[in-house]
Amino acid sequence: MKGLTATFAAAMLLSAVQPAAFGAEAHSLPEALNKAGRNPVVVFIYGANYDKLGQKKYEEFVGQRKLTPALHRCVFLTMPVYQLPNEKQEAEMKRMMGDKQLPGGIWSYPCLAVLDSENNLRGIVQKPEEMKTPETAIAALKPILEDFREQQKLLAKADRAAGARKAQLLFRAAEINLPLPESDLKDVKESKDPRAAKRDKVGFANRVKFDPLAVVEKIQTMDFETANAYIRSEMVHSCYSRLQRQMMMAALAGHLRRSGASKARLRALYTEMRNIDPQSLYGAYAEGAIALWATESAPEKPAAIAAAPVEIDRSEDNISTADAYDPTRPPKPADGGNFSTPGSTVARHTALGDTVMPTFDDSDPTVETTPEPATTSAPAAVDEPETDADTDFTEGEDDAAE
Amino acid sequence: MKSPLAKLLVGAGISFVLGMALCPLLLQRPGADAPVAQGETPATQPGGGAAQPGKPGSAVAVDDSEWDENEESDTDADDDAWLGEETRSLLASDDAADASSTPGAGSADAPAAAELTAQEVDSYREDDVPADPLQDAVPKPRAAAQMTAAMSSARQLQTAFSKVEKQEYAADDLKPADWKQADALYRTLAERVDAKLGAADEKTVLDFMAAPENRLDLARLTLLRRAGAAAVQQVAAAPLGADMLAKLGNDLNWMCGLLHSGPTENLGTALEYLSAIYAADDFRLKEPVTRRIATTTALEFAREGWSKEDMLARFKFYNTAWHADKLNAVFDELAYWETRLVTGCAEPGQKVGQWGAPRNLEWLCDNVRLPVERYLGCESHLCYRLRNVAGDSVFSAEYLAPILDYTHNITAWAYREIGGVCGALSHYAAYSALAAGIPAMTMGEPGHCAYTVRVGDEWKLGNSIYWQHSLQKKFWGEPGWDFLILMQDLYQDRFPTQVSDELTAMADYLAARKKKASAFRTYDVALAVQPLNWNAITRYRGYLKLKDAQNTARWSALHKHVAGGIGAKHYHAAATMLCRYVYPDLIPLQKDSEALTDLFAGLCSQFEGWGSNRWEISPLLEAQAAAFKDDAARKKYVSKVLGILMKKKDYAGAVLTWGLNYIAKLDGGSADAKEDYTDMLLKSMARTSGSKKVQDETWATLGEAIYAAAENDEAHVFQAIGKLAQRKCRSKFPRHRAKLRGFPGRVVSMDGVIRTATTIDPGQMKECCLHWAVLQRTGGKMPGKFEGNAGLTCSLPYRSTINGIVCVCEKPIEKEKKDRPFYIEISNDGQNWERTAENGVIEGTNIRFDMRHEKPSAKYVRMLREGDKYEPTISGFYVFGKKDRA
Repeated sequence: MKGLTATFAAAMLLSAVQPAAFGAEAHSLPEALNKAGRNPVVVFIYGANYDKLGQKKYEEFVGQRKLTPALHRCVFLTMPVYQLPNEKQEAEMKRMMGDKQLPGGIWSYPCLAVLDSENNLRGIVQKPEEMKTPETAIAALKPILEDFREQQKLLAKADRAAGARKAQLLFRAAEINLPLPESDLKDVKESKDPRAAKRDKVGFANRVKFDPLAVVEKIQTMDFETANAYIRSEMVHSCYSRLQRQMMMAALAGHLRRSGASKARLRALYTEMRNIDPQSLYGAYAEGAIALWATESAPEKPAAIAAAPVEIDRSEDNISTADAYDPTRPPKPADGGNFSTPGSTVARHTALGDTVMPTFDDSDPTVETTPEPATTSAPAAVDEPETDADTDFTEGEDDAAE
Repeated sequence: MKSPLAKLLVGAGISFVLGMALCPLLLQRPGADAPVAQGETPATQPGGGAAQPGKPGSAVAVDDSEWDENEESDTDADDDAWLGEETRSLLASDDAADASSTPGAGSADAPAAAELTAQEVDSYREDDVPADPLQDAVPKPRAAAQMTAAMSSARQLQTAFSKVEKQEYAADDLKPADWKQADALYRTLAERVDAKLGAADEKTVLDFMAAPENRLDLARLTLLRRAGAAAVQQVAAAPLGADMLAKLGNDLNWMCGLLHSGPTENLGTALEYLSAIYAADDFRLKEPVTRRIATTTALEFAREGWSKEDMLARFKFYNTAWHADKLNAVFDELAYWETRLVTGCAEPGQKVGQWGAPRNLEWLCDNVRLPVERYLGCESHLCYRLRNVAGDSVFSAEYLAPILDYTHNITAWAYREIGGVCGALSHYAAYSALAAGIPAMTMGEPGHCAYTVRVGDEWKLGNSIYWQHSLQKKFWGEPGWDFLILMQDLYQDRFPTQVSDELTAMADYLAARKKKASAFRTYDVALAVQPLNWNAITRYRGYLKLKDAQNTARWSALHKHVAGGIGAKHYHAAATMLCRYVYPDLIPLQKDSEALTDLFAGLCSQFEGWGSNRWEISPLLEAQAAAFKDDAARKKYVSKVLGILMKKKDYAGAVLTWGLNYIAKLDGGSADAKEDYTDMLLKSMARTSGSKKVQDETWATLGEAIYAAAENDEAHVFQAIGKLAQRKCRSKFPRHRAKLRGFPGRVVSMDGVIRTATTIDPGQMKECCLHWAVLQRTGGKMPGKFEGNAGLTCSLPYRSTINGIVCVCEKPIEKEKKDRPFYIEISNDGQNWERTAENGVIEGTNIRFDMRHEKPSAKYVRMLREGDKYEPTISGFYVFGKKDRA
């Protein structure tokens, strides 16, 4: 503990004397949020008195100013977190936080949190493989910052728009792979105005309010044909994200599987589900489901794992073998799969948790079914001038303001 | 003198089996079927009752005349009508009554004396040395004043131990080859120690302990005795085994860490494991932290019977993580006993679903890095889900299966992606802390999984919703929360515990050398130095049982020691210790029932609040009551204990429940005894009321008791307590009568029992008298839960022909919940159910089941709902019909 404290003191000293190397530096969260405007706030959060690894990262990332290249037009804040703080540390944390709190979703330190001026968490670099070196962190951070700016532009336009135009702009913003600020979703979530629903031609509200378990409950008493028809009728709407459509497929396939459907039928459904977005969590789920339940070698009933755990290949163990578990290694493709997930170092999700894979290529030649067209892209009409009387949108205004 | 309650209890031949110890099991049975009431003949088919048909197609308004003729008035006098004359007079008086003159209670047997296991007896095996005739007598137990000199020396020892630990005392007299001849080594060491101890009087023994070289010799002997010479020789024969033993055997701090950091079962295996780590470690455990990780991992894996392969993997994880600076700074400061909780965290192995798998710990260590206090609550990283998006239940094999390849079979990662229920959430949080080197563990709670993390010196609860906690990791085989706190208090008081532990080891050695008197005296000092030392007490108790089991004075002194030591703060631990290790031997020896009563009452009177956590007092009371062969003496005891405990607000409810159960368990023939006990209980129940100031406490007490009655399907007790609660706490009940459209006939459910499938948490427990009111015309409040076969169950007081049922919810049924029907099942035995009314008609807050066409006859009815879980609050439940003719 003493060692840690000494190192921390040295690091703080270093931090105090270093010039303002970043776009703008802040010394407390309220100050950072005030300074931010439309720019992102990047917060380096680390364990100050309990985590030697975090301390090292602090010295490397902040002390040696290695993050500087990534922080152009950002407000940067370094935030130490204390374990069981003493009075002095408590006071420092209070000064640092002011009347604010860090938003939810920050699960591990050290990390780089990207906030907007309203203290919404818009992106985060926190996986160990991302935070391994300043270079990997920058590689993860840069796309988040680019997306942030793009999304902010659209949100600013949406703020000035109304009716269908607003919904379209929000939809486009949601298609960018960062969570939308809660304030922009709140109105949509809570609105009970039928006129607003009518104006929402892109179905943005449906997307925001989507509940996968409601789909499960909805179809659980339906026969397959009815359930299938229901899911298909929902999926034709372009409003849903790819992940949401994969979830609907999961519900349908799960319902069918429990009803004792044939492997061929399951395989068709899971393949369709996978092809919507093979790199997403539910793309991997579908691949796993094919291997488990829809191949000829799959058992009629899956092996129980909850009650009787499945023995796994010991060679995978990171402790007992030289071929150790490497957190930077991408998830292993499922047996029989025809894709593997590239080793993305960035946790990227849309407002609704949709996984972002900019390199996604759905033209997989080996799958049985035709890959689904990218129906989630915003409707072409989005750039058409809206005739709605409420609209006061002026194209290009934001860019000029920049 | 027969109170109606007693008559009813006798008549029903009730078999109470509750006991809150069984509560977890009972609470885990949502929707469990009601048991068959004794004396009730299960009907093979419903119907057949002489029902009075109502007018088809028209609902009948409920008016007062439709309620049971036992109409309640608003006066207290009328409220007491149900109690009968004698009981009313008892209730009128709040004076403690002496029930000793009441004859005729049945007798119970005292607990059988627990015999020592062969393993325990073996642990006291004596060496082949001549017995010392001067050491043959067992000394009398000493009072505190007689131990002043010994305690002064013991305090000096604590200072000396502290200094020696800082100096890191090490010797070099033993070579690896010495350990290859373990038998010879033991003899050599024993001769050396015996020579130094001389007559082994108390002063010599305590002086001996002051020198570190002597302590090291004693530790070596202790290791050889506990592991066994053969096992030590086997370890010494392994590659680098003798080398490891030589280093270990010359290092006093290391030896203390190995021998005095908790239980040392399977020490031979632990040494074998330690030797394997030693051989695998390039630095031969030179670093103190590595040595600590190795020793604690070896100890825990040997104790738990886990494999060497898993043990090596666990050691490697923590050792590698520490060297990579990945562990929390808390880990650096842990003592050996605390480290055992971390490195010995459960569930090793490589299997999916095992949270202790190295791959899982590594992932958590990398991905959940937080300050210690923030591990509490980090289960929020997972979403709470009973089903995944494919609709598979979290309890099914299919839930995680497709995603495991993606997550490299890492359990924590898979659950973080998919979500889970309490088990996954609590394991995630606890193992995140453990992976960072912070003491934590999961705990079972009734129908729930929680966890605890130690923050600073305090164990904090996480995701906990009940007071019953069953700890996953335990040193003395006791899963209760109080034992964790006892363990913390014991080891935190470091040097007194160290001195006590080493004196216990010395006493064990003296016992082995046939120096009985010295052994007893040394045990006495060991216990006095650290009264919380559970291990020292059990060692002493074992030796006493072996050598002088009939020594009443020593057993009484032990009772006093436990009550005054552990029992000063750790009530549950003290009660367990007494019930398990003291009463079985003390009770048969203590012939004076008054002395016994005083002893027991003395213990009960020192309970102030619950201590570290609420605990189940009924086993203690059960064991104490069973001590009395004589009915009169037993009644005296019950009267005295009720008098003490019913005045303590925390205990009143639990004691009342115990009393009800105790009465129910009395032999069927002893009706008078039941009556007497019932009177006693009612008097003490009356005491719970008092004034408005204590109304909340009374309310909580009766709530707990009525819940127990409902769980046992004890209609009469349920009704009696409900009516008493209404009399005592009228303001807690709704004032307005429920408005509803009823059905023809009377409300036959009014005198029954109603149970909900929801597990009642402590906060809700105190409101349980309102469950009774749900059956009454004013209505009440009860959390409902409808899911599968779990719903609302109502036991009618008699088999009845049913015309219809109305369930009143507190709020109108939500629109989205109307898509699944509510339905009714009936039964005559509470086991076999028949679906009878298919679709309840929802009218605002009411759900109506018109059964006038079927007119089924049943003793039990239950209301269920199809589809997913739905949890409305129920304010009324009324079964309309007519009692069947016998």
